[in-house]
Amino acid sequence: MDSRFEVAQDPQNRDTYYLNMGPQHPSTHGVMRIKLHLDGERVISAEPVIGYGHRAHEKMAENRDYLQFLPNPSRVDYLGGMIYNVGYCQAIERAMGIDVPERAEYIRIICNELNRISSHLLWLGTFLMDLGAFTPFLYAFDDREKILDILDRITGSRLTYCYARFGGVSLDVDDVFLEQVANFCTYFRDRIKEFEKLVIGNVIFRERTIGVGVFAPDLVQKYAITGPCLRAMGVAHDVRKAEPYGIYDRFDFDVPTQTEGDCFARTLVRMEELRQSIRIVEQATSAMPDGPFVAARVPRRIRPPEGDCYFCVESPRGSFGMYIASDGSDIPFRLKLRTPSFSHISTMPAVMPGTLLADAVAILGSIDIVVPEIDR
Amino acid sequence: MIADKLSSFIRDAAPYPERGYHLQGAALPCNLPQIAGVFLAEGFHLEMLTCQDRRETDRVFRLIYQFNRYGAPQRHVISADLSPDATAPSIAAIFPAADWYEREIFDMYGVVFDGHPDLKRILMEEDYVGHPLLKNFVDPPSPYRSE
Repeated sequence: MDSRFEVAQDPQNRDTYYLNMGPQHPSTHGVMRIKLHLDGERVISAEPVIGYGHRAHEKMAENRDYLQFLPNPSRVDYLGGMIYNVGYCQAIERAMGIDVPERAEYIRIICNELNRISSHLLWLGTFLMDLGAFTPFLYAFDDREKILDILDRITGSRLTYCYARFGGVSLDVDDVFLEQVANFCTYFRDRIKEFEKLVIGNVIFRERTIGVGVFAPDLVQKYAITGPCLRAMGVAHDVRKAEPYGIYDRFDFDVPTQTEGDCFARTLVRMEELRQSIRIVEQATSAMPDGPFVAARVPRRIRPPEGDCYFCVESPRGSFGMYIASDGSDIPFRLKLRTPSFSHISTMPAVMPGTLLADAVAILGSIDIVVPEIDR
Repeated sequence: MIADKLSSFIRDAAPYPERGYHLQGAALPCNLPQIAGVFLAEGFHLEMLTCQDRRETDRVFRLIYQFNRYGAPQRHVISADLSPDATAPSIAAIFPAADWYEREIFDMYGVVFDGHPDLKRILMEEDYVGHPLLKNFVDPPSPYRSE
């Protein structure tokens, strides 16, 4: 056995053992393994083992040109596909100095925020299912379906979107889309209240999450935690506010925070983010301008100037960044994807020890990991 | 001010609107733990750590450390050129986030980090031979693949 796992044992209590959680386990939300060392039900140490779903996205980027890589980012995080797809286009647009028409910016904002809501809804359903509550899963997927239908009609895909283009979006939206979105917003505002009544007030849910999986304050800086996990610890940092990309600086929305840093705080932050996303969508729908949906002049050859650049966007899980090194050719010299789930899952050896096995499941669910994003 | 403390390393300010980071600098690999310590003390976090295979043009591996701060962004990119047969010092003891990033670089490029608590492959399987992100990488023949 690995010497790192040897712990000083109480002579009276020799029943520590190792348990593989995964690679095939419903609560790891994908193919991932956590090597747990347990004393009864209590976790002594935890070591995530990743890479089962490694698809070499970064290597792929090095043997195809910038346009050919366009379908890839949405496959990296399949739940926030739209945000990754748009983010990649924005990174290239900034490097190349391509201007995006107003209408395209608004369409992107609406699609991004709808995607964020659908991602949070999937998280809500699966997280509660991890905790043993099956009903909210059906409610959340019902609502998520409505968003997927709206986006499906516009983009042609339901999960791994490839909708954005360098300089705009691939297809224009019509009035029916705006009407559908407006109807959804009205409907969903009431629905959030229902979720809160069902979930937040539930005594079993509170018992399972309050005070569970508290991230120690020093983890924030040492592990570079971002997204809702960070905001649940009282740091009001959101890439959309800190370094606004696209036209996020034109919208009025709040960055919800909580201070406890436990599973319950992370839930509250995400529930409030649903509401804030609706606010952004409503503002964008009512202000949607007419005009072209893609830039008239986009260079035929995408060749960012020589040098490195970094661009990050706020994904549903945290700060997703792309470090693009260009050598002035058609093909990226190196494209590094900085994914939030990778940082968050690496905190597990520091967070899990001392908790119960059932709480380890709750912690894993509450940080909202997407395994393909960890493995890339 | 962080720039003063690292004045010997920070090369020049980078144009944020184009590059996405505010300052860039070059350091010798042996100075990296010292630099990381300064960033930790100043409240920065290690946002990203990556590597580039520049052996063909510059005969080096370029390690790229990106530090940032919460709130108003203060992104600092420190690069360190490492000759292909040298090892780099690990900063996992200073920033635990570097633990997995260094394992990833070891896995993908074969760069060895001295003082890393548990340097082993992270994304590729344990018995994999080769380092996939090297520019001269050739996929080794697999007994499980039919050609």
